[in-house]
Amino acid sequence: MKLDRDVYIAGVGETRFGKHTSDFDVLGRQAALQAMRDAHIEKPGIVQTAYVGNVQNGIVTGQMVFKDLGMCGDLAIINVESACSAGGMAVYCAVKDVATGTADISIAVGTENHSLTRQAGTAFAGATGDIETMQGLVFTGKYAMRANRYMFETGATPEDLAMVTVKNRRQATHNPHAWFKGNISIEEVLASRMVASPLTLQQCCGISDGAGAVVVCSREMTKNLGIQKPVKVSGAVVFSGPYHNRPRDLTGDDITEMAARRLYEESGIGPEDVNIIELHDAFTIAEILYYECLGLCRKGEGIKFLRDGESTYGGKCVVSPRGGMLSYGHPVGASGAAQIASCVKQLRGECAGYQVEPVPAVAMTHVTGGGMSGTEHAACTMHMLTKAWQA
Amino acid sequence: MGNEKAGKKMGQKEKEGEADITFYHSDLVEVPTDGSPPFLKGYRCKSCGQLDFPKLSICPGCWGAEFEMVPLSRKGTLYAFAEVFLGQPGMTYPMTIGYVDLPENIRIFAQIEGKAEQFNCNDAVELTIGTIRTNRDGLPITSYKFKKAES
Ligand SMILES: [Zn+2]
Repeated sequence: MKLDRDVYIAGVGETRFGKHTSDFDVLGRQAALQAMRDAHIEKPGIVQTAYVGNVQNGIVTGQMVFKDLGMCGDLAIINVESACSAGGMAVYCAVKDVATGTADISIAVGTENHSLTRQAGTAFAGATGDIETMQGLVFTGKYAMRANRYMFETGATPEDLAMVTVKNRRQATHNPHAWFKGNISIEEVLASRMVASPLTLQQCCGISDGAGAVVVCSREMTKNLGIQKPVKVSGAVVFSGPYHNRPRDLTGDDITEMAARRLYEESGIGPEDVNIIELHDAFTIAEILYYECLGLCRKGEGIKFLRDGESTYGGKCVVSPRGGMLSYGHPVGASGAAQIASCVKQLRGECAGYQVEPVPAVAMTHVTGGGMSGTEHAACTMHMLTKAWQA
Repeated sequence: MGNEKAGKKMGQKEKEGEADITFYHSDLVEVPTDGSPPFLKGYRCKSCGQLDFPKLSICPGCWGAEFEMVPLSRKGTLYAFAEVFLGQPGMTYPMTIGYVDLPENIRIFAQIEGKAEQFNCNDAVELTIGTIRTNRDGLPITSYKFKKAES
């Protein structure tokens, strides 16, 4: 979007991700409180608008999150749903409020509890009533087809794909918010249960619960609140999936490519300047395809980029430094907001044990959402975040 | 729920007690009663000529609302496939799925008959009819599928 005035992130919060017996509203409140306290907000009545991303936990989810905080009343709470993109889209909406002057300070929350609502032993499918869903498509199957086509075209192997899990889990080792973390070998990844060939269980994001929250505000408000390390939102884009039933290149991703191009244009920052990225690594193959779609490397060279260590600590661009969805799991409404929260902490140098060094100056986030026949994804939300203080 | 039931009684009395669908569905696929081979139904916009599958309520190219049905080719190319071991309720696993590209420049998602190991990307496949899943009443739903093309 065109940012009419500068927008800054004043505070962020994220819960531990994993199985929770607390429902989505408790998790959302926990992340929201963290984010507000992080922004030096200690009482209700400061934040002017709120957006809450959630997918599976029912209606008026935002009001459920904020009622116990004494914030319901003149706070305009708007609930946002776009499958996996919901949390990122909530942040986009909050940014828009500040950019347009609708509000000087706004909060976005992404929250989801799957454990308490979900039927075990099933996989996520696209829109209900959709023709591909009816014929049996689930997301694991779609990404498995992408993986097979990618391997067919490039000669990549299942071992190559498994390296993404190994990398992301290793990066998450000391991240207290991550769920699956630490050492896992390529052999262990490949020996786990087959979900959709060639994707084994350890190559698919877990179904987890959690929340992330982000407080955004104007420059003046960062001063009023005494924010020492404001992070600038240098770009924010939302795209909807182009619809057609013609053949398309599944080793690319039209919506991600469009969104990235627009984000680079609007922010004036190119892929070569991005230090860290949290992207939609819901499956190992996805991270590899997105290296290429985001322009981190040339088409067909994603495996080389990974093998050469360019996407981990010490490489050109650290991808999924928090461990990504392969470590956090993917509570669909929460992930987009949590990605941004984690990137902000990296930019501020607050990630003890998993801090990228040198401390990054530019971070990018990418989260797609949902599936419908005739699209690669129903939605894609991306943000560009930059350090906005002198060291 | 109550309203839905009342609506059925008023509007569709003849359908009361009818089972969930078992054929998916007549807008998508034709199985001729004379024994000739089944075909998928494409829809060509009468205003701009754009061909689509499945049938849309309006043409996304020109917003035209009149279509002519065009039988689509029965043979196509398997662009990508996978063997799925876990998925939705009402389906039998493992299941082979794929994207099939037809000569009309249309891509179809479908279940593929046979084990995934016998397939490669770009294999020739052809349309067939079979069970895709069971409905809420546990009855099999019949629809289009693809299988290895007979050469
Ligand atoms: Zn038309």
